[in-house]
Amino acid sequence: MIKLYDYVLSVNCYKQRLMMSILGVEYEPVPVDFFPGWEHKGEEFRKINPLGHIPVIDDDGYILWDAHAILVYLAAKYDPSGRWYPTGDPGLLGETASWMLFAEGTTNTASAARLCVNLGYDFDLEACQAGAHRLFRVLDEHLWFRERGGRSWVCSGDHPTIADIALFPDVVLSEEGGISRLDYPALRRWTDRVKRIPGFELMPGIFPASPGR
Amino acid sequence: MTLVTADPFTMWHPVASAHDVPYRHVCHAQLLGRELAVWRADDGYVNVWENRCLHRGVRLSIGSNDGTELRCQYHGWRYANRSAGCTYIPAHPADAPARTICNRTFPSVERYGLVWSGEDPVGEPPTVDVLEAGTPFGLRNLPVDAPVELVLQHLQTHRFLPSGSLGAESAEMKVEWPDDYSVALTATDGADRSSSSASGSASGAGVPGSASGASSTAVFFVQPVDSGRSVIRAVLAETPPAGEQMAVLRHHATGLNGLVARIEAEAARLPAPEPMVPVLQQVPLHLAEMPEAPSGRQAALRVQVRRKWETATGVAAFELAPLSGVLPTFQPGAHIDVHLPNGLVRQYSITNGPGETSYYRLGVKLEPDSTGGSVCLHEAVREGDVLAVSEPRNNFPLRRDSMRTILLAGGIGITPLLAMAQALDRMSLPFELHCFAQSAAHTAFSDVLDRLGSSVVRHLGLPPDETVAEIRRLVAAHDEFTHLYVCGPGPMLEAARREAAAAGWPDDHVHFEYFKNANEIHDSSTFEVALARSALTVTVGSGRTILEVLRENGVPLPSSCEQGACGTCVATVIEGEPDHQDVYLNDSDHEAGDRIMTCVSRALSDRLVLDL
Repeated sequence: MIKLYDYVLSVNCYKQRLMMSILGVEYEPVPVDFFPGWEHKGEEFRKINPLGHIPVIDDDGYILWDAHAILVYLAAKYDPSGRWYPTGDPGLLGETASWMLFAEGTTNTASAARLCVNLGYDFDLEACQAGAHRLFRVLDEHLWFRERGGRSWVCSGDHPTIADIALFPDVVLSEEGGISRLDYPALRRWTDRVKRIPGFELMPGIFPASPGR
Repeated sequence: MTLVTADPFTMWHPVASAHDVPYRHVCHAQLLGRELAVWRADDGYVNVWENRCLHRGVRLSIGSNDGTELRCQYHGWRYANRSAGCTYIPAHPADAPARTICNRTFPSVERYGLVWSGEDPVGEPPTVDVLEAGTPFGLRNLPVDAPVELVLQHLQTHRFLPSGSLGAESAEMKVEWPDDYSVALTATDGADRSSSSASGSASGAGVPGSASGASSTAVFFVQPVDSGRSVIRAVLAETPPAGEQMAVLRHHATGLNGLVARIEAEAARLPAPEPMVPVLQQVPLHLAEMPEAPSGRQAALRVQVRRKWETATGVAAFELAPLSGVLPTFQPGAHIDVHLPNGLVRQYSITNGPGETSYYRLGVKLEPDSTGGSVCLHEAVREGDVLAVSEPRNNFPLRRDSMRTILLAGGIGITPLLAMAQALDRMSLPFELHCFAQSAAHTAFSDVLDRLGSSVVRHLGLPPDETVAEIRRLVAAHDEFTHLYVCGPGPMLEAARREAAAAGWPDDHVHFEYFKNANEIHDSSTFEVALARSALTVTVGSGRTILEVLRENGVPLPSSCEQGACGTCVATVIEGEPDHQDVYLNDSDHEAGDRIMTCVSRALSDRLVLDL
């Protein structure tokens, strides 16, 4: 069974829990005392991941770190439909890769702001917040046009991809980092749609959506 | 022209676009510094509410919209569509929330694909001729970090191309001002270049240019979000052909993004205005003080019979709609007093499901031994008639914290249970609704029952002994997580209570409502009633009721059925032994002797002390 080195309040760990829950993959969480213990920076943990960060998965001896890389691996290996990581469709795969890179940006701004506020990280909070607003504006417009084109997800297919999973936690928890989503109605509607994906799982700070009509 | 002169607090403003409020979503909006939760119920109504749960001030925009009610994420308080009244407080599952617990609402009107609201708006939202005459087509809204005045000023110089000629190099622009918060721009391709003095002409608002080329008019409404923030909500007068819409939307998005960048660059150089501070409504005096007890039977509402139909053999159904405004919030189990044209006052349960807040739906059975109530409703009251009714009162509240709920309905006793079943169904809580009736034709509101699917079990045409046997079977098993609700004719209700007690159900898990009190009332005793709070002692003689004597002495008490069935005139007993003659309280309550129905019950002791 997959082992997930996990911290319950980490957005990047949540991305993995969410993906595995949706794909119906069983896993064993291994709690890491991220805060206040900084266990991931300790000598023992660096034997698993020399970079000293989580999440890390151990799939029967295969070790992989970096949240977005793990999503690629999980979807490629455990999604028989091939829709979450659409390797069979070069155009869609390119879009997925592009939005995964965009998600690095939201993680480094919106989720970084949350680390400043919640866990006292010494980042430039205002810069993180301003950066997140710039990206959210782009994403809101993008999703608005997707809706107008009859689509629901970040990529142009009719099924969500790992890009939706990579972006969702950064977006939905942004208010914890002082980033309001008042100005991004299309982004807010998209978070409702993600919450209605079968197998969706919550984490602290994320509320369920009501059942769709 | 760019100077905003009107008082923005008395104006209508757009607060969202229609596509911002899809079903089952809560849109987060802001107007003049005040945050709003905007949500569409399944009946299509768009609610605009203060974005603040009355309980702990948590934003309702993170709440969930189940199509009929908005549920706060923090402690699960539920608020009804339209009225915004609280319908359920999970921490007090056995109690009906007071009707006065009501969120602040703002008016809402949908026009031109926008949702309009306002702090205290006068009249109607603006009408714009060019949009009235056209086929309005909403563009993407753009939030701008700049004050309204600056946005309006820049919009005058905004340029775009007519929908039909997006390939053109440029177009003539004409600027008009429908009102202080909007700009109408008309782009005309191929206009005579010599008359390019263009902007400013205000006359003939909305009449497209007479030039030979393609022409498009867009109206830009600017929503004042806060002192330094706005949203541009643009509407094209004419909907482009389906195949060209995306290109038109992209064209305008690109142009407006550029405009917004220029406006924000200028706003960043100006000193930031102080944010607006919305005035939060204070708790009104009537809520801050002990309520003045209403006396007698109140009929504060006027409703019109919107629809009357025969829902089953001998059962008339009525839809009562407000003459204006919205009806007060009801909860499942609630009833209203209906003041009939012949002077009688009768109680009827509200059968509506949650969110059905635009009318009250009642079911009235024609009683063969009618004393005038059901006959009057069946024969004299017609569609279009106006009736006086009381505000809803809930003496039969539904708990929603049980793992299983059993509802037993006998005949027209379906009415309160129908409202309960729909509420439970909506919340996905497990329940069974057992309907006992003579036949399918005698089953009222079959259409609603059909929608509740397999949770409804019909027991048709059972003779009395088999009915009792069936009830015995239904209540045979119980546990501490199951609650039973019964409403029906006296004998059926007695049987259900008896069988439940025999099966070991605790009294507080068995809830019931009688149609009427069939007990013979003994009123020959004479006793003294002392009112602890009012420092008043009165004597209730034979033939009189506590309620009557107290009222004569100026002590107000609410009442409804005045025969010991509905529970409205309850008083707390501090001392003395009540002589219970009501059918509202259960046996445990009677034994405890700490509450009394003042309309029929009396005293076994010489003296009663009441907490009044």
